[in-house]
Amino acid sequence: MTLQTLTQTPEAPEAGAARSLFTVRDLRLSFPDLARKPLLGPAPRTEVLKGLSFDIPAGQITGIVGESGSGKSTAGRVLVRLLGPDSGSVLYDGQDIGHLDEAALRPLRRDLQMIFQDPMSSLNPRHKVWRIIAQPLKRYGLGGTKADAIAALGKVGLPPAFAERYPHELSGGQRQRVGIARAIALKPRFILADEIVSGLDVSSQAQVLLLLKQLAREMGLTIAFISHDLSVIRHLCDRVIVLNRGEIVEQGPVAQVFRAPVSEVTRTLLAAIPLPELDAGWLD
Amino acid sequence: MTGSQTHPNTLDVMQLNIALPNGHRLLRDVSLSLRPGEVRVLVGESGAGKSMIGKAVLGILPQNLKVTEGEILLEGQHLNAMTPWTRRKTVAQSAALIPQDPLTALNPARRIGPQITDPLVRIHGWSRTKARETALALLDRVHIRDPKRVMESYPHELSGGMRQRVLIAAAFAPSPRLIVADEPTTALDVTVQKQILRLIRELQQETATAVLFVTHDMGVVAKVSQQVTVLFAGKVMEDAPTERIFTDPRHPYTRALIAATPSYADLDRPFSPVPQALIAELQDDIVRDDARHQGGAR
Repeated sequence: MTLQTLTQTPEAPEAGAARSLFTVRDLRLSFPDLARKPLLGPAPRTEVLKGLSFDIPAGQITGIVGESGSGKSTAGRVLVRLLGPDSGSVLYDGQDIGHLDEAALRPLRRDLQMIFQDPMSSLNPRHKVWRIIAQPLKRYGLGGTKADAIAALGKVGLPPAFAERYPHELSGGQRQRVGIARAIALKPRFILADEIVSGLDVSSQAQVLLLLKQLAREMGLTIAFISHDLSVIRHLCDRVIVLNRGEIVEQGPVAQVFRAPVSEVTRTLLAAIPLPELDAGWLD
Repeated sequence: MTGSQTHPNTLDVMQLNIALPNGHRLLRDVSLSLRPGEVRVLVGESGAGKSMIGKAVLGILPQNLKVTEGEILLEGQHLNAMTPWTRRKTVAQSAALIPQDPLTALNPARRIGPQITDPLVRIHGWSRTKARETALALLDRVHIRDPKRVMESYPHELSGGMRQRVLIAAAFAPSPRLIVADEPTTALDVTVQKQILRLIRELQQETATAVLFVTHDMGVVAKVSQQVTVLFAGKVMEDAPTERIFTDPRHPYTRALIAATPSYADLDRPFSPVPQALIAELQDDIVRDDARHQGGAR
């Protein structure tokens, strides 16, 4: 695994150059605000996504960034259809999956995988690692033997011995690798990675990022990578979408957005990141 | 850095060792000092023992951990020599904690107000009125818009950033000489993190409070501290002024930690995890150290 792969991010091709795996237009979503619900009658709705339009190019890593409450996780969850939109279209490979019911979604589920922020709560604590990875494989009729699980572990750089461990016996970084192994074992077309390194310390974070980048390249994966850390996005992603209060304030190839951010929100997010270098005036 | 009689330092930790009951050392001969108004960062990966040092100073180590050797001096007073009761009193008088997770640090069933004022009344012997006035003034100082309302609120009614502000106000209220800040911004968003870091620095500078700041983020290290202690497996790898850590890091582990921190501004700088070979080498050193330490103890 080379360091250079992550350091020298190739310039992303301009929009339109790559085929879009997702084409999202005017995506709107609201949740009922139960805190303000009257005794009788429906709760007023809070608009979380206010008309998002964006593309996720195939074979690229798209970063989605914003503060807490900006709607970045909600938008991601619509892509993998854990949530359905109120209105707007979500074209996946040309097909509008926004309003499909569960039965119609079932054939797509395998292709749309997710890696979660907190690996402790997303790995069954009573199952050994190999079963955690093998169960979805079995579910989709793709095998599901211990050997399959060990092969997936190998891809994320964990030795076969880890197959017999339980999640609590792993470090945070190792758990997150298991989460990645479970997702990639299904050979999906798309992975949603929601804040997957924010719970890790620096060295594990760097390992997981390098791994994800390498796997994306080897397997031709399309990834949406949600994060609040623009440094991580800059190193990992080809494109970035900046969200603020449910609206897209900026999107484009990372090199362009970082060189000349047009939105005040992007500039604020950039200025908030403590870079590992001396800067006496940063906190003033 | 000796334990001289005229104590200019707020905190001296000397050759501190902490071990499990089975004798396994978790902290290995850690020494550090903190002058009034100084911020020293303890940085390292999880398990390096950085939080443990803060807990040892405050006397809130888990029960199964014991200080086996070493001295902790708070404003020149030997904490180890004190009875538990005197020690608790001394520490409560002059030190405070800003914890990592503001939600677990606040009692969910009680309003914010008494959670700030109770210690001021009970430990510091203030009047209710004085405690309340100080709390209101400090909440205002930490940029909480409606301090009176927040005093009446329950923790769940506040956002993460607000809760952390409340805890910062509570920590600074009794004008402590030392504050232990244990990853106070890890649970927060980057923009909120910056506000909180700024706030801690403002208050700390106004009151010349010494801060022992625990973090794993080399970016935060660069922005908040004057002195840095780099820890690996409970052992000090490097102890240096912050400026030197970033201009001329001497220990390979320090350099590796900096290289593992991503930076959007400097893509030419290598970005890589701490190399396994370095970790193995450092662990070998520690095994040798421990063997020698055991041999010496017998």
